[in-house]
Amino acid sequence: MNTPIKGKVAGQYVPLVDGIEKVTGRAIYTADMESEDCLIGRILRSPVSHGRIISVDTSKAEALPGVVAVVTGDDSDKTYGVIPIAMNEYPMARDKVRYRGEPIAAVCAIDAATAAAALELIEVEIEELPAYYRPADSRAEGAELLHDNKPNNIEREVSNEFGDVAAGFANSALIREAVFDCAEVNHAQMEPHAALAEYDVERDRLTLHSVTQVPFYVHLMLARCLDMDTSRIRVIKPFVGGGFGARTEALNFEMITALLARKCGGKVMMRMSREETFITHRGRPDTEVRLKIGLSETGKILAVDCEAVMAGGGYAGYGLVTILYAGALLQGIYDTPAVKYHGYRVYTNTPPCGAMRGHGTVDVRHAFECLLDRMARELGLDPFAVRRANLLYAPMRTANELMVNSYGLAECLDEVEKASGWKQRLGKLPPGRGIGMACSHYVSGAAKPVHWTGEPHAVVAMKLDFDGSVTVLTGASDIGQGSSTIVAMAAAEILGIDIGRVRVVANDSAITPKDNGSYSSRVTFMVGNAAIEAAKELSRKLREAAAQKLDADPADIECEGEVFSVRGSQQSSLNFQEVAFAALALEGTINVKGTFRTPPEAQGGKHRGGAVGSTMGFSYAAQVVEVDVDLDTGRIKVEKVWAALDCGFAINRLAVEGQIEGSVWMGMGQAMSEETRYQDGLPVHANFLDYRMPTIVDTPDIEVFIVESNDPLGPFGAKEAGEGALSGFPPAVVNAVANAIGLDVDFLPLTPDRVMDALIKARREAKKKKKVSA
Amino acid sequence: MKRMISLTINGKRYDDAIADNLLLIDYLRDVRKLTGAKRGCDGGECGACSVLVDKKPHLSCITLAAMCDGAEIETIEGQAKQGKLTPLQRSFHENLGAQCGYCTPGMIMTAEALLRENPDPDEDQIKAALGGNLCRCTGFIKIVKSVQVAAKEMQ
Amino acid sequence: MSEALPQFQLSRPASIAEVVATLKSHPDARLCAGGTDLIVNMRRGLVETDMLVDLGKVAGLNQITETKKGLEIGAGVTLADLIANKAVQTYTAVLEAAGAIAGPSHRQSATVGGNLCLDTRCLYYNQSHWWRKSNNFCLKYKGDTCHVAPQGNRCRAAFSGDLAPALIVFGAEITLVGPDGTRRLKLADFYHEDGAAHLDLKPGEILTTVHLPKSNARSAYGKVRIREIMDFPLAGVALVCSGAKGDETLSVAVTGTNSMPLMVELTKAQMLGADQDAFFAAINKDVQKSVSPQRTTTTGSHYRRLSIAAVAERLARELCLG
Repeated sequence: MNTPIKGKVAGQYVPLVDGIEKVTGRAIYTADMESEDCLIGRILRSPVSHGRIISVDTSKAEALPGVVAVVTGDDSDKTYGVIPIAMNEYPMARDKVRYRGEPIAAVCAIDAATAAAALELIEVEIEELPAYYRPADSRAEGAELLHDNKPNNIEREVSNEFGDVAAGFANSALIREAVFDCAEVNHAQMEPHAALAEYDVERDRLTLHSVTQVPFYVHLMLARCLDMDTSRIRVIKPFVGGGFGARTEALNFEMITALLARKCGGKVMMRMSREETFITHRGRPDTEVRLKIGLSETGKILAVDCEAVMAGGGYAGYGLVTILYAGALLQGIYDTPAVKYHGYRVYTNTPPCGAMRGHGTVDVRHAFECLLDRMARELGLDPFAVRRANLLYAPMRTANELMVNSYGLAECLDEVEKASGWKQRLGKLPPGRGIGMACSHYVSGAAKPVHWTGEPHAVVAMKLDFDGSVTVLTGASDIGQGSSTIVAMAAAEILGIDIGRVRVVANDSAITPKDNGSYSSRVTFMVGNAAIEAAKELSRKLREAAAQKLDADPADIECEGEVFSVRGSQQSSLNFQEVAFAALALEGTINVKGTFRTPPEAQGGKHRGGAVGSTMGFSYAAQVVEVDVDLDTGRIKVEKVWAALDCGFAINRLAVEGQIEGSVWMGMGQAMSEETRYQDGLPVHANFLDYRMPTIVDTPDIEVFIVESNDPLGPFGAKEAGEGALSGFPPAVVNAVANAIGLDVDFLPLTPDRVMDALIKARREAKKKKKVSA
Repeated sequence: MKRMISLTINGKRYDDAIADNLLLIDYLRDVRKLTGAKRGCDGGECGACSVLVDKKPHLSCITLAAMCDGAEIETIEGQAKQGKLTPLQRSFHENLGAQCGYCTPGMIMTAEALLRENPDPDEDQIKAALGGNLCRCTGFIKIVKSVQVAAKEMQ
Repeated sequence: MSEALPQFQLSRPASIAEVVATLKSHPDARLCAGGTDLIVNMRRGLVETDMLVDLGKVAGLNQITETKKGLEIGAGVTLADLIANKAVQTYTAVLEAAGAIAGPSHRQSATVGGNLCLDTRCLYYNQSHWWRKSNNFCLKYKGDTCHVAPQGNRCRAAFSGDLAPALIVFGAEITLVGPDGTRRLKLADFYHEDGAAHLDLKPGEILTTVHLPKSNARSAYGKVRIREIMDFPLAGVALVCSGAKGDETLSVAVTGTNSMPLMVELTKAQMLGADQDAFFAAINKDVQKSVSPQRTTTTGSHYRRLSIAAVAERLARELCLG
């Protein structure tokens, strides 16, 4: 690093500890690891949406010179999945295929061309079955079941009620109901999927490098699907080019690559195309949200009734968590005394959906913030005022038993209201211009992980050795969000040492402690706390050694800027090296560890599914979006965004800003132009021309404000920063469009063709109304 | 059938026998073992593979290596000299222009070509020049800033 | 999968004569200039050829020459060079159209000839081999049904070049060189309304030059797309406005809506004496009437028709009144 930061690092702008590799091209990602001794893997994918597999004949492919191994569903009869009670996917289809693109077989060969040729030689006979692409069709009576044990093709139905909803509506001055359609979207991380598997025949050992966010899940699923002892497997995560939830679950290609490596007794590289990366999917499902809200005259929320129907794709995946999250996170942001929720996660013959940034909350938050805005208008209330009428006061517990320990939403509202000039500008903008706002929140890690083992949620190990360096060992996956930097900062902050003295070693199951991985924004909170605990333990040992040398009480020893001294004393001090040697002399290499467990009171209610949505702390966000609408073409241009997020405390301000900007922007993509669409089950979006993520040219200025509510349980008071702001963008832009042209839209994304259709419809209805009133 | 090509990569001359259908990205990655240029899409849609060919940004995933015979190629690996980062590299690092880092080599090479041609670009010119380079992490805010800071640094 | 390019031989001729000779000896050879579209299609398994003819070394193909009559633009001129050329600056529509093509790095390689000869596009065609095979291919390549219009008997893939309409409204002509010599025709006549065979290119012919007549007329290009860069046109429209103030004459051409770029037949091209609002509204109607967008993109055809007409009307107002 150019300018070493001495002493206090927490709260500063700190470049990523692995940033130099990224800007020099030295960062090695999975696909960069292809070597001369690698065989090249390729996957044969289903040509049909739904069908019974009659036969898979691989003999011709096997006979092709250069082909080394071929695997099919026969090579693994174990299901995998992220949720222990809902594993219903095979690495390669066995009895049935349930979406176009589902893996059926795979080959490895001496080169890509041979592998591709081999795929053409595999003969597959499939008896086609009726296929369904919309929940209404798969739920229809008499529909063919995708999974025999799931009647009506419903993967999970959720129904719950907290508080007296009927009474809430009965007392409401205004009740409104609306239906919102939110299209399916994909993470579209820049790095296509890839895996490198190496099987050591003599030792029966498997090493897998992959693009995963959660090496631990991959490890478990490899053991399960390959029927291997976990001790024989080693999973390493090299640099990863983004994830956003796509890589939370173990994915089929990881098991397939390992199966190929074992079968050929060697090393197999599987690089997937962008199209295949899209097909592997696990994105945010197409969701229809029917929402009813009851408000008092002053805008108090008295009752909420919500139904969400998600088209989940062909397998369970993360589905039950997604549908539970959607209901649970109706709460925890405003004072919502009575909430009823009904959710349906429905099977469709499309690639399986999964977790995506803002998992579960985005589409229901969209509906909520849009409807709340419309109702505020009817009541003559300012959008900010209606939110302020419903603020929470921490600490508190919501109706569904979610713990809210810190709450900075009020400050977020103040920041963006002021910065955007809301009061002065609302209603005074030129024609076609509008401003809108919305709020959002997200969990800082699930208080109860889906793979509940009773172990601590996070373990960080730290080593101090003869060289005077501090090595932090963590299983937390840095996928670009800067988690390795956070643990290095935590160590440096607690130890009072230069961050340059700290090295982070991450994500090698043979070396680093187990970690639950990078999902649900858990890493800063949980791994950060574990790192602090480990550093405190190391610090204790160092202070004891220093105390001995300085002949003082360890409690009086302090270390700042790598200098140990006795508090309040002018006597001589020791430098870090001196103290480190003294400590090492006592016991040799020092290994310490820190752990983090979530307190039981954070783990949610006792009701069914009550753990989902539970967390130690919620981040809160408010944002204002300004738009310009072209009535001739239906084009909406986002002119500017003001976003404030309460992250408790910004340990790394640089990374927090980056996370807020990135998540607001990703919300913008979903709101404006991104969607995954299928034509009879074939993806028509599976490239970067048709999956229209915003370009740099389409991107407005995003002004960021950091609010620090200082969470009592957070590491240095910190909470999550990478997801909370995402779900505020779509409703804020819809509210801005309403402000600009008086049109309320109920769909996402706001592509110009949809907006144009809505405009035409609105004009027609206005004409009709005029006629009637005339 | 193979053909000989002679070109320079990051100032060093290479003579290699290659197949006519070899893409520049595969030549760089597989033959020359320079893995900085990344594949992010199925052909010219993301910019992660951008390298400079005779000082201009090119998409190496849709460029034939054979057509670069005699050319001067610059890649991310040749940017830092004696381990010292270029102003753009330093700025991307210090201003968080790179999060996951996958788009970064292409982004920096494209920006490098811009700054050589226009040392003082305004925001719109930066955006226009990087319009073909996608990034999924940063929302581009800190990428624009990284280029702006580097431009100032270089003046 | 990342599909490897098929095997082919690369020929690197130095002259037009050599190109023509190569095409004669290898009838299936394909011409490759910038390759920004062709290589992508090859990666998707859409091109079968055993020889690629690299036009990068062909002498004289990348020149822009100013003559008394106007500009002679070599087919091998890159879009970046076209945009930077001083002599082109008065042709606003051409500049705007070229500048709206793909991204800046594409424009470093992509050429004028390449964009004029751009393959037609369709969501059933620009897909991977697996995708198209799962869908029983299509009329344009290896199949027998057009999935866009299954009842019809021709391919509906859309011509998506931005440059063609901008050159057509200026009355540009092109020179083609082939085994039987040289011919010159209006660029507008170079195209057919057939997505599978949209170019009037005889076997062995190569487009060498665009002749752009001298003009000081005001002009503009408008492009309908979702993102402001990278996207192919959902529809595009070029307009030229000539004549004295108050008596402007317009000519309008569109792209992206049909299998070929087309001149819009205007019910009234001259503004003189016309009710202004009616005049511009008529342009909107005329564009709507002449285009026939199909379900070749993920964006609906109805929208493409309405929006390009609205853009045409707006640009017409700006050019005539601005």
